[in-house]
Amino acid sequence: MITAEGLVKRYGAKTAVNDISFTVRPGQVTGFLGPNGAGKSTTMRMIVGLDRPTGGSVTVNGKPYAAHRAPLHEVGALLDAKAVHTGRTAYNHLLAMAATHGIGASRVREVIEMTGLESVARKRVGGFSLGMGQRLGIAAAMLGDPSTLILDEPVNGLDPEGVLWVRQFVRHLASEGRTIFLSSHLMSEMALTADHLIVLGRGEIIADAPVADIIAGGTRPRVLVRSPHASQLADLLAAPDVAVIRSEAGVLEVTGVPASGIGDLAAQNGLAIHELTPLSASLEDAYMALTADAVEYRTEAVR
Amino acid sequence: MTTTTPQLAHPSQRAHSTSLSFGGVLRSEWIKLRSLRSTTWSYLIVIAISLGMALIMSLSMASDMNGGADASGMPADGQVSLIVQSSVFGVFFGQLVAGVLGVLIISGEYTTGMIRSTLTAVPKRLPALAAKAIVLFVTTFLVGLVANLGAFVVSSVVFAGVDVSASLVEPAVFLPILGGALYLALVSVFALGVGTMLRSSAGGIAAVLGVMLLLPTVLQMIPAEWAHDLIPYLLSSAGLGIFTSATAEPTADALGAWLSLLVVLAWVGASIAGAAVLLKRRDA
Repeated sequence: MITAEGLVKRYGAKTAVNDISFTVRPGQVTGFLGPNGAGKSTTMRMIVGLDRPTGGSVTVNGKPYAAHRAPLHEVGALLDAKAVHTGRTAYNHLLAMAATHGIGASRVREVIEMTGLESVARKRVGGFSLGMGQRLGIAAAMLGDPSTLILDEPVNGLDPEGVLWVRQFVRHLASEGRTIFLSSHLMSEMALTADHLIVLGRGEIIADAPVADIIAGGTRPRVLVRSPHASQLADLLAAPDVAVIRSEAGVLEVTGVPASGIGDLAAQNGLAIHELTPLSASLEDAYMALTADAVEYRTEAVR
Repeated sequence: MTTTTPQLAHPSQRAHSTSLSFGGVLRSEWIKLRSLRSTTWSYLIVIAISLGMALIMSLSMASDMNGGADASGMPADGQVSLIVQSSVFGVFFGQLVAGVLGVLIISGEYTTGMIRSTLTAVPKRLPALAAKAIVLFVTTFLVGLVANLGAFVVSSVVFAGVDVSASLVEPAVFLPILGGALYLALVSVFALGVGTMLRSSAGGIAAVLGVMLLLPTVLQMIPAEWAHDLIPYLLSSAGLGIFTSATAEPTADALGAWLSLLVVLAWVGASIAGAAVLLKRRDA
């Protein structure tokens, strides 16, 4: 379980992460989606204490990462596939990481086997391909058999077989009850791997919903509803085949009910509606629209 | 009687028998040190320089004696001084290798990104720096000791040809040999601090060599008495004092071995303190 509250990171005048709050729950894969530069990596680095937040806080299983007695048993992190000394062999790298927590060589061999690195384990990391580097990063993250895994762009540089392997691997880990927090800038990859999505754009959260809802919202006609009574309206609309996503205060994205139906329902209950716009977009379009909105929103906020 | 329903251990609740400890971090840093070729090469170079310099130095001094002076009539402390000079001569060059190595131990982690793995495993950070310093200090000291003892053997063999000898059990012999190894180890830790502060191999090496080689020359060139007075307090001058001082106590024109050691410790302390503050404060 990862809990972020009002997390802010500024580098000089540039705000990388702007007051975000979210919860990543155990037993499912939570996708962290956003274009490059949206603040995904910065957020993940703050979770494991590599970057110090400018404001707010983030905890893992109820405590700041550094306050745990055995951090590697709490969180395994693949933050940067290149976070390995190029002159050392994969085996020695893992052995050195494991030694900090008193984890033995047998576990090192286990994670090497788990990630399919047996044939290159005694080779120096400098000669590794991007894909092998990613596997080594995942092996390092698994050393402590952690209950929470943070993986920043784990499929980056992998061949199709490797992509499939990562997908099945993280689904399996989640089914064991672990918390999986996985970032990507590829919507298509997330649609296949994640259960829940947190979409980040320009350092702000623009969607936090089950992936099924976001896919439903993206592939079936949606209606954007802006209303001061958004929560009441959402309750009235609730039905098995209706998906309601609340992307920001006072705004609903409704799938499964046409615009006319929503308008009628609001009128019958005397609820004011400020906007009622039918939307239709593909999965990628929905994602692009979400992130583009975030950009516009920022520009207005500055003025 | 109680029956417990068999339950699969949930990974998130599974008890782990191991945890982060300083002993573990020390072991980790030792694995890191011994698993890089650059470390092994640096240490081999320290030993090779020491033996080679001892050979050149003792051969040249011994041949001078063959030319005239009667060596067998030489007083015992004169003989000791000759052999000791030759045994620790390699330290002058070895200190440059130790300095470069100390920088590379940490700057190599910054340039490759390894530091992020290190600090994720040891999120409190300072134990990682302390463990690096301890492992580097002990290893460099032992390598320096082996190098100086080897140089003593080489020198003794060469000088035996001209009837000059010294015993290793004499304080005047083993103290400089220990002092030279201690100085090498302290230089490497000083360089570790500089490397941590600058986070770059080129910058760190330039800074360390600058302090050791350039600073004494610059101070000598300044035509003022205060500049001249500062020279004994420089890292390399004081370091020299640890293993070449004729006396342990200060004299009119030298600090003596103990005061020299204190001055070097102050340099090391300042460097490590600066490194600790910056390591703790900065984003990795």
